[in-house]
Amino acid sequence: MNDLIYVYCISNRLPDLSLSKEHNDLKYIMHNNIFAVIKYVSENEFSDENLKKNLSDMDWLESRVREHIEVINLLMEQNTVIPFNFGSIFQSEINLKKFITDYTDSLIENFSHIEGKEEWAVKIYCNRKALCEQIDELSEDAAALEKQIMASSPGKAFLLKRKKTDLIENEMDRLCKVFGQKYYDTFRLLSDATYLNNILPQDVTERDDTMILNAAFLVKKTNVGDFKSTVEDLRKKDGNSGFVIETTGPWAPFSFINSKKNHNEP
Amino acid sequence: MNHNVVDQSKDITILELLDRVLNKGVILTGDIVISVADIDLVYLGVKLMLCSVETMEQLKLGKSVPEKL
Repeated sequence: MNDLIYVYCISNRLPDLSLSKEHNDLKYIMHNNIFAVIKYVSENEFSDENLKKNLSDMDWLESRVREHIEVINLLMEQNTVIPFNFGSIFQSEINLKKFITDYTDSLIENFSHIEGKEEWAVKIYCNRKALCEQIDELSEDAAALEKQIMASSPGKAFLLKRKKTDLIENEMDRLCKVFGQKYYDTFRLLSDATYLNNILPQDVTERDDTMILNAAFLVKKTNVGDFKSTVEDLRKKDGNSGFVIETTGPWAPFSFINSKKNHNEP
Repeated sequence: MNHNVVDQSKDITILELLDRVLNKGVILTGDIVISVADIDLVYLGVKLMLCSVETMEQLKLGKSVPEKL
C-alpha cells in the first residue's frame, strides 16, 4: 500500500501536473496557499529502514535521483519552486501540512529570494600536465629561472633545473588558487548568491584532472545569457592553460534554500 | 516547455546529479518526517567506483533537464 508521502518540491502557484505524461502519479497538496508536489510511495521502498537499504543500490538510487530532478525541473518550467532534499518522506498529509504551517514564513522568504532565478553549477578542474607546459608563460618566477638556466654552464643549469622542478609545483598550486579565485569572482559578479560545495577528490570524479572549485551560483534568468557567454569567453581565453570549466544548469535553487521554523514557534 | 534543453542533457553524470540533490534544498529534521536520505557524496563515490563501467554507461543514458554548457 502506498501511504507515505514523498515530497519533490513546493510551489507558490497551482502546478499543472497534467503536463507530465511520464510522471502520471504526481499529486499536489495545498495548504496556506503553498502547493507541495508529492507522490504516494510504499513503505517497502521508503520506510526509514528500507530507504537506507535502497541507498546502497546504485541502480535504484540513480533512477530515483533522476526522477527527483526531472519532476522538479518540470515544475520549475511552470513556477518558482523550492526543491526538497532527495528522499524526503512524510508519514501523513497531516504531518506535511504541519510542516508547511511551521515553516510558512521561511518558505515565503525563500520564494522571494529565488523568484526569477536559477542555479548554475560550476566545477573547475586543473590539468596539471597542460598547466606545467604553459608555466613559463604564466609564472614570472618560472620564466626568470628558465632564463637563468639558459644562460648557465651545464653544471649550474643542472642544479637550477632541480630547483625549477620544486618551483613549478609551488607555482602550479599558486596558479590554481589564482585562477580558481578569478573564475569564482567573475561568476559571482553575474549572480545574486554563491555557494561553495566540497571539492571532490579524484577517486570520486574519476577524472585525470584535479577539481579546484565546486561552486553554485544563483543567477537571475535575465543574466543567464551573460553567464553562458562568460563561460565561453573564459574557455577560449584560458583553454590552453590546463583549466577546464564544467558548467551545468539550469537547476532548481537546491543550494540556496534556507528553511527555518517560524519565529513564533517554540 | 524548452525541449531543446532536455535534448542536451544526456551527458549529465550521476555524480553531478548527486552533487545537486544530496543535503540540499529543504532538509527536513525532527519527528514529523519519517526518513530523509542521509548520505555523503564522498562516501558514495567509493560505491560509484564499484559500479562496472558498463553500468555507469547505462546510467548516463537516463534523462534529466539541465544542459551541460
